[in-house]
Amino acid sequence: MANADLEPILMRAEARVEEAILSNLIEKQSPQDDVEISSFPIAVMLAAASANSHLKRRYALVEAKRVSILLKDESEQKIAEIAGNFNWNIKPAKFNFGALTYDFTLDFSHFLRNSAAIQDAKWKLVNRLMLKGEVYLTKNEASRLLQEEVRRYIEGKLNTEVGALPQNVQERVDRLKRLFAETRGKIQSEEMPKEVVIDAFPPCIRELRNNALAGRHLSHVGRFTLTSFLINSGMTVENVVDCFRSSSDFNERMTRYQAEHIAGGRGSRTKYIPPKCDTLRTHGVCPGMDDCPRIHHPLVYYRKKLRIMKTATETPTAPRA
Amino acid sequence: MNKIETKAFVQEKFAQYYQLNSSSINPPSSMTNREFAFLLFKERMMLRHTGAKNAEDFRTLLKTVVPSDAYYSSAYYEKPEEEMEAKGWLGTDLIFDIDADHFSTPCGKQHDTWICSKCGATGRGTPPEKCPTCQGQKFDDKTWPCEICLESTKRETVKLIDVLTRDFGFSLQELIIAFSGHRGYHVHVESEAVKSLNQIARREIVDYMVGIGFEPKFHGLEESRGPSLEEVGWRGRIAKGTYDFLINTPVEQLEEMGLKRSVVNSIISQRNKIVEGRKGKGPWRIMVAGSESWKKIVQRAIENQSVKIDTVVTTDIHRLIRLTNTLHGKTGLKKTQLSASDIERFDPLKDAVAFKEGEISLFVLEAPEFRLGDERYGPYKNVEVELPTAAALFLSCKGAAQVKEEH
Repeated sequence: MANADLEPILMRAEARVEEAILSNLIEKQSPQDDVEISSFPIAVMLAAASANSHLKRRYALVEAKRVSILLKDESEQKIAEIAGNFNWNIKPAKFNFGALTYDFTLDFSHFLRNSAAIQDAKWKLVNRLMLKGEVYLTKNEASRLLQEEVRRYIEGKLNTEVGALPQNVQERVDRLKRLFAETRGKIQSEEMPKEVVIDAFPPCIRELRNNALAGRHLSHVGRFTLTSFLINSGMTVENVVDCFRSSSDFNERMTRYQAEHIAGGRGSRTKYIPPKCDTLRTHGVCPGMDDCPRIHHPLVYYRKKLRIMKTATETPTAPRA
Repeated sequence: MNKIETKAFVQEKFAQYYQLNSSSINPPSSMTNREFAFLLFKERMMLRHTGAKNAEDFRTLLKTVVPSDAYYSSAYYEKPEEEMEAKGWLGTDLIFDIDADHFSTPCGKQHDTWICSKCGATGRGTPPEKCPTCQGQKFDDKTWPCEICLESTKRETVKLIDVLTRDFGFSLQELIIAFSGHRGYHVHVESEAVKSLNQIARREIVDYMVGIGFEPKFHGLEESRGPSLEEVGWRGRIAKGTYDFLINTPVEQLEEMGLKRSVVNSIISQRNKIVEGRKGKGPWRIMVAGSESWKKIVQRAIENQSVKIDTVVTTDIHRLIRLTNTLHGKTGLKKTQLSASDIERFDPLKDAVAFKEGEISLFVLEAPEFRLGDERYGPYKNVEVELPTAAALFLSCKGAAQVKEEH
């Protein structure tokens, strides 16, 4: 690595990770193809060496996005070929449907493996044209799905342990880590407040909590959602247990055990977070999304609402004379 | 005989069944990668993390344990006998459970009874949210598999099989269809295509079945225009659901769901034309309705066409599921496998009967009218009767009778 010939590759690799940290896209390219191509595995190594899971995820996502953009200009044949490398059962299919022209069909299991991570109604299986297990896709949609496959592929590559590095490389890794920490710092300063603000709860949690306080029966999913939400909003196990106290089948020991388990204090020591909005919808816990524009997780709603409430109180209500 | 002896009678009958019939109980596929679990009569506790090396081993387990209910994991594990964390998950079959407990049926479940755990008040049908007497919220309920409930679950099962084969492209050989032995049906898909699907992917399959997250604009529905009845997948289904809704819903129900007077009038006056529309472009553009009304109508169409599955069962990749040909502890009936082509002829209350001989005298506390085989029994209240073994076992399992004497 100390070889001067490799310096441009190393520089380009660092620039790739840096661009991923600073912007959502990797747009720049080395004018030299060989440098550009060789810099990718080196960039992967730099990101892996950071041993920071957030940084790794960020890098994988941005690289995958770039692939997806590049794929949009490729021929259908090329896309099918790449998908084939990931063992997709993809077939060319010219099929006009209203204003849409479908170019491929893909077996539903490969579709689901990649579509489920995309938060958009258009990617829900229920909104797709599917026949005999084959989901119809346009060329752009196939590229978008491949992005997810590539993202997971890169994430897999990033999960390898990197041993000791030469000093000049380690310095670059450290610099990238610092850069990432600086950009993240802004986000982390907006962490959860110390006090639980019930007014900022999303509608689903408000409803679950009201039901629990009134002693009404909650489904298993509902109970788990409420408990894990309250724990994650910073409520103490004691106060969580109190929420369930009016339930006619209240069992203090059991409720405490469950709350402690969810808080990560027992057994596997994993701290659980509430299910995503999609999951809540599936199990009938979501009371309707009218009040939740562009929200996909109850905790995200809570954080956003807190921020809005905070800004509202900081802004003077009437101009001073 | 008192209550404890009735339990002993049930256990003895179950033991007899497993002694005589274990050779017809086949282990599930990939037996050595499955966990087996048994609910025990005595302690009412679950014996978990059991494994079986071969069919012989498996049958001996059933004969010696004599479980009140016998299950296997829908999942495949490297080491099925270890604790959950150490099992080593290899994959899971795709499982669907359709149970009358999870949706409303035309019978209104008047055969079911509930008793408030707090004050002892009783009532019929599904338990209320709050006890009308003491406002308590915990109830013990006694549910009965009635013919109407079972027919409703069969209709849902037929819908499910249709979606699994037509939309998802599974062959009938990949589907295992069975009556659960109580109030519904199970469908298992054993296919390499589904084994490794995670919970998120399975949730998408559930949403497809139930119509959750369905957005009309992705199915060609715009301003009262829509797909034709012949189209595939949800497109054809939404057309059919809308068509059924428009021609079959009584006026009162149309009004109850909050449709405008003018829309209700338009539906009623255009019904003949809508019926004719069946051959053409479907139920669209015949009647006049605004976008809000169409939203309500389409929502009803989705409910009409969705499959009423238990959403938790399908998304759970570690679910335990009843073994085929074993007895259900709540009825004494067998979980019975059937083929898709036989489903219409299948009679759960006849084909799942496990005991065909003998008579028992018993004192029945309370039971609604029910059928088993070709005979009808009851309703009973505080009477002593002599019944065929299957019927006596059924009432004993339900806790509705005390056994007097075996003949």
